[in-house]
Formats: sequence, structure tokens, C-alpha cells
Amino acid sequence: MASLQHPKPTDHLAADAPTAGLKPTGTPLYEARAVTKKYGSFVALDRMNFYIGHNEVVGLLGDNGAGKSTLVKMMSGINPPTSGEIFVNGKPAQFNSRADSEAAGIETIYQDIALVDSMSITRNIFMGREITKRFGFMDHKKMEDVAIEILGSAVQISGIDDPRKEVGFLSGGQKQAVAIARAVHFKRNILLLDEPTSALSVRETEHLLAYVRDLKKDGTSSVLVTHNLYHAFMVCDRFVVMSHGTKVFEANKKDTTIEEVTDHVIRT
Amino acid sequence: MSNVQSNHIRKAVEQRNRRPLPQKFLDWIRDNPEGGIFIMFIVAQTAAIVFGLLFPEQFRYLLPANFNVVLKSIAPLGIMALGVGILMIAGEFDLSVGALYSFTAIVCATLTNNLMGDINAENASALAPFIGMFVALGIGSLAGLVHAFVTLKFNIPSFITTLGAMLIWKGGTLLYHGARALRFKPTEPFATIFGGNVPLFNEYSIHASMIWFLIFCVVFYYLLHHHRLGNHFYAVGGNRNAAVAIGIDPARTKYIAFAIAGFMATLSGIVAATRVGSIQPGGGLGMELQSIAACVIGGLALNGGRGSILGILLGTALVFTIQDVLLLLQAPAFYFEMFVGTMIVIAVIMNTAIRRGKA
Repeated sequence: MASLQHPKPTDHLAADAPTAGLKPTGTPLYEARAVTKKYGSFVALDRMNFYIGHNEVVGLLGDNGAGKSTLVKMMSGINPPTSGEIFVNGKPAQFNSRADSEAAGIETIYQDIALVDSMSITRNIFMGREITKRFGFMDHKKMEDVAIEILGSAVQISGIDDPRKEVGFLSGGQKQAVAIARAVHFKRNILLLDEPTSALSVRETEHLLAYVRDLKKDGTSSVLVTHNLYHAFMVCDRFVVMSHGTKVFEANKKDTTIEEVTDHVIRT
Repeated sequence: MSNVQSNHIRKAVEQRNRRPLPQKFLDWIRDNPEGGIFIMFIVAQTAAIVFGLLFPEQFRYLLPANFNVVLKSIAPLGIMALGVGILMIAGEFDLSVGALYSFTAIVCATLTNNLMGDINAENASALAPFIGMFVALGIGSLAGLVHAFVTLKFNIPSFITTLGAMLIWKGGTLLYHGARALRFKPTEPFATIFGGNVPLFNEYSIHASMIWFLIFCVVFYYLLHHHRLGNHFYAVGGNRNAAVAIGIDPARTKYIAFAIAGFMATLSGIVAATRVGSIQPGGGLGMELQSIAACVIGGLALNGGRGSILGILLGTALVFTIQDVLLLLQAPAFYFEMFVGTMIVIAVIMNTAIRRGKA
């Protein structure tokens, strides 16, 4: 493929590499090799190779229906692959449920937000991971304190001043901010952001992107799924462009330009 | 840990906590579906009490006989509504609870009678009714698990599963026992524990079944509002996909909720049978809709994820207050149904308005 970068000595392609792309340097945090996801006869992911290294932000790009969200859901465990191999820190791993990805330290901000409208902000943040005292009874005081803390940190959320407020009464941007605050609080190694800025204001978006950069310094890698190439170029170290369920382009930021990436998103 | 960016939230929370108590109470009434029902309940009670005082001869609301009977009759429906309500919050229905109520009560009574648990039996056994009850509660919970299995395994609406189950349990009752009434006069201490009276003052007393209802209200209050599992009920009922995405197993949660509904339907049947002293095989039919009605009046959402134990308690109590008032006024029975029907619609309109007003 002419579009590929010339391989560097450090990231040369293996002879049997099934699709386009770079070879990870060192042991990646997470690596998927030749993963395929089929829904009946429809192939949503086709022998896709994808990895997330240490201290990096990966931009996952591509047109609607390219398979980005399928890949994200696979990495978060709620959508197991039909075939293929997954490695966490170089060790083979099964990703059959959310518990598996949680064990790997992965948190996700979903495109469809994944909040329960009829529950309070605090209860949404701790849903499934309640802080409990003895016998599984919830420690409401502590959960509220932590909720206040994280609402102020990740994204400075406009206009939220009551952690007991029902999520159903928040605006789209506020909901997204709550989902981000939740994921940021629980993440350990990897943060997956699936279209995180679609409902955010300009100020909130800037804040989130700056935060993703800061996370990298603290040792948390991120995957940013977005349609906004300008945002992607602001924070990402490496770009992966998908089309029809497979990878069509991959390059490090220093080796490519916004024009080249745009070209691949549009053309493929 | 202290984050300066959170200070404005802390300040706002503190300000809300400093509101005077009446203000907090008014805000609670305004913001919660239970609030409207609470007001309606207070209004109905006040009106009944005022009229009871003004016309003690014509309107005998405050007489001990009436007070005792009302408290007795609330309990069976209330106990059933607790189970049905929790299942509704988890996003599913159980239409079979009324049929299960009769079936399991008959199982309990048959076992009790066969094991010499009848109070008039020779060598009457004190243990027999308890054995009968535990077996029946086991069957009830198991029935709930079966409803859950069919619903979740084949991914069909629980409305359909339990509609079928209702007919199956109803037929099963007739197959197992026939259509005649069955005597249930258990030995002590069972009779007192589930059918005794605790005197309050003068001739006013509170029936054991009401105490059991209140005990289960407290138990389920802690389960639903303060336990991790309760949070999962709300999450699964409110947005199943979000619950899955965050790592809650919706199947496990719903199995538990179905089992609770079956368990509570059984308990309700046994408590009612102990009070009456006999079981009519068709006695529970219609109760499934009444308990759903009580829950809806108490502010539970039909599509799940919303509601509270206080709402279920108030919904049940309001239904019975109105039934009692109509009985005392010697209104024909169909007035009651018309009234409950109207109230369901009004309750849902009110709850929808509250939600829209806040959004």
C-alpha cells in the first residue's frame, strides 16, 4: 500500500501481518490480534489488529459504520469477539464480560452515555461499584463526598451543583460530563473515549482534551474515538483509521499530517 | 482530599442541608411522586376523621371495630404489593402472584393438616404449620425463579410469561385441590404469630398481619434504598443497557426480584389464610392487578426504575382508606372499582407532570 509510512527500524512490519499498520514497540498494555466480530452474516470487525501502548493517546478514526464503536465495545468486554486473540500486558486474556475489562483496568465513556435517567448523579457514578459498609449496605455519605470531589475534577461541569439530582433532568452536555467524571474516577490503565465531546461546550471540550493529555503523564493511556480530526491532532500520538471493519491506515503523529489522515478518512 | 473546583458544589449542598425543615418537607413533596400521594392520603384521612368525629353515629370511621378491620385487610395486599413493586422497579411484571397466592396457601394448609398441625387434631403438632409455611415459601420463590428463567432465557416480555403462569397456577390449584374451600386453623404458636392481635389501647388493636407488613416494609426499605442490590434493581429497571455496560448482571438481578415477588405472594396468601381460617381456591384472583394498581398509585413507573417502599405503603393504604370510606357510606361495591380506576389515571398524570415540571 502506497499510503503506508516507510517502516522504521523500531516498528518494522512482520512478514505475516494480515493488515496494514504499525508493530508495537515493547509490550503493549492491550493488544488485539486479528479479531473478528460477526453479527449473523454481517462482519463488523474483519481481522483487525489494534494495540494500546504505555503512555500514549491513540486516535481511532473513520466514517460512520467503520466499526469503531464495535471495537470499543469489544475492548470494554460487553461485546466479545467472534474470533481472534487478545493480550493484556503480553498475556493472553479473555474479554467476555465487563468484569474482564475492569480487571484489565479499562474504563469506557460510551457514545450512548450509559447513565440511568431515573437515578441520582451519585448513584449513577457508583452504579455497580457502590461504596459499602458491612453486609453490602451503601455508605451514602462517603459516596456523595467522592461524587462532589470528582464532579469538580475531570471536566468542570457547567451548572451541576447537586449530586442528588436525577440524571434525567440534566442537559446532554451535563450527562456526558457525568459519564466522563465516572470513567475518569475508576480508570486505572486505559481510558476509552467513544465520541466524548459530541454534547460538550467548547470550554468543556478544551478541558477534557487537556485532561486526556494530563492522564498520559500519570501513566494512563487513552483511545479517543472522534469525527473531529482537529481534536484528534491536538491530543493523539498515533492515528488508526478504520473502514468497513478493518484498519486502512496507521501512523505516528510525527510521521503524518492532518491532510493525510483526513484524506484516508474520506477516501476509504 | 480537597478539590477547590468542587467548592461551589459543596457550598450548594451545604446550603440545601441548611434549609429549614418545613422547606425541606415542601421540596420533598414537590419533587417526589410519593409527595402527591402523601398529601392525598393525609387529606383523605383528615376528612374521614373529621366526619367520624362530627357524625359518630352515621359515619363509624373511628370506632375500634372499623379501625381494627381496616388494618387487618391492608396487610395481604400490602405484602403482595411489596414484592410486585420491587419487581416493577427492576423492570418486570408478575401477573401470576394472585394465582400463586392461592396455590401456595393451599400447599401450606394441606401440608399442615396432613402433619397434624390443625388445632383440633389429636397430638396436634406445633411445628407442622411452620414446615408447611417454609415449603410453601420455597415453592413460591422457586415459581418466581421459573418465571424469571422463562422470561430471560427466551427473552420474552414478563407480561406474557406471567400471564401464562397465572392461568397455569390457577389450573394447577384446581388440579391439586379442587374447587372447595380448605380449612386452615393452625396450632399455636403459629396462629398467634401470624393471626394474633396486639392490643393498643381500649378496644383498638393491631393485627399480626399488619405488623408483618410493616416489618417487611422496613426490611425492603433497607434493601431497596440502602443496599447495593437495591441500587442494581433501579439500574437494571431504569436502563438495562447502561447497567450491562457498567458491569451489573441484569439476569441475576431480575432472578432475585422475581423470587422476591413469588415469596411475598406466598407470604401474603398464608397470612390471609391464617386470618380467615380457610382458603378459597379462587381467592387471590384479581389481586395481581390490585397490587399493581397500588404500586402505580404509589408512584412506581410502569416501565421500571422508579418508585419507593414509602410509595407502595401509601398507595396500598390509600386504596384501602377509600374502600373503607365507601363501605361505611354503604356505597355499592362497584363504586370502589370505579374510584380506584380513576385514581390510577390521576396518579400517573400527576407523576408525569412532576417529572415534566422538573426537566
